Amino acid sequence: MSETPDDFDDLKRLLKLKQHEVPPPGYFNRLAGDVVSRIQAGESGGRRSLLERIDTQWPRLAALLRIFEAKPGLIGGLATSLCVLLLAAVALVDRADQATDSPLAALPTAQGVSAGQDLASAVQLAPADDSGITVSTNPVSSLQPAATLFGSPESPLFQPAAFTPAGQ
Amino acid sequence: MSEPTAVPDQNAPSGTLEGDLVRRARRGEMAAYDELVRRYQERIYATIYHMTANHEDANDLTQESFIKAYSALKSFKGGSSFYTWLYRIAVNKTINFLKQRRNKHHLSLDDLDFNAEHDPDLVSLISEKTPHREVNLSELQKKLNEALMKLSESHRTVVVLHDVQGVSHDEIAAIVGCNIGTVRSRLFYARQQLQGYLADYIKT
Repeated sequence: MSETPDDFDDLKRLLKLKQHEVPPPGYFNRLAGDVVSRIQAGESGGRRSLLERIDTQWPRLAALLRIFEAKPGLIGGLATSLCVLLLAAVALVDRADQATDSPLAALPTAQGVSAGQDLASAVQLAPADDSGITVSTNPVSSLQPAATLFGSPESPLFQPAAFTPAGQ
Repeated sequence: MSEPTAVPDQNAPSGTLEGDLVRRARRGEMAAYDELVRRYQERIYATIYHMTANHEDANDLTQESFIKAYSALKSFKGGSSFYTWLYRIAVNKTINFLKQRRNKHHLSLDDLDFNAEHDPDLVSLISEKTPHREVNLSELQKKLNEALMKLSESHRTVVVLHDVQGVSHDEIAAIVGCNIGTVRSRLFYARQQLQGYLADYIKT
């Protein structure tokens, strides 16, 4: 691989022709601008594709985002409403906890269970009635004695069945 | 991530320091990156053009190289000059492109400038062949590009960088990612090949 200076002298002179090849006039005036434009278009294209993906997968969310984009004040209003709702929910839960602190004191009597009473509290808190049926899911009241699963046979809940075939 | 240091670049034009422009471009200042593109666009375009012999491909690859360099700026550690790093991106991109389009070369040559027919080296080379110098320059340009396209991508890269662009062996080694010995051996082989292809046009 011994290269003497004259080995490729003519070839090097011929290769100088390549240095005289020039792109169309004004090409380099536009190139930098084109590159920067493509970079900026690519950056905004990335943001657009994210929005497009949301639009495709969650169209309602995209519509909501567009509303917020048009009216930024709505975001503040929505955030305030959510905070108020959260506080109200916390207050309600607090009050409900206070009411259920002593369940035995709040137990209604058997007579108290009337048709007009709240159905939910009746189901939860009613003690065993005369027939011995326990209808409450409350662990305290469910300790009441029960004769059978369906009450005692003497209970008025049981009525003898009578069947008379047709034509007799 | 550490900021890139300003590696002295003997090829960099004077004016704002390259490292300063790179730092500003990394922060997203497009004006700084625009300045970097303007600084190196001619050399990057020329390298890619001489490797592809096609203006449209060279234009696309030049733009893509600068775009890729911008997106990868954060990974630029400053171990080499920005210019060498940019060259590496452009050369790798071009070699990948040429490998994908192997044997599907379509020449789309740039025009020769006015000075070509007055270049003493070229005049002395062709004056004995024909009095129609301009016509023969165009023909010579075509034959030269065809011969270059017959070389492998790695050999063409070395001969274009050294004999056409004037890049030193050291820099070529850094750009291509091999040692100087390999650069020299590839250059020698590429010149031998070219001399054979262009024997009719070279006085030997």
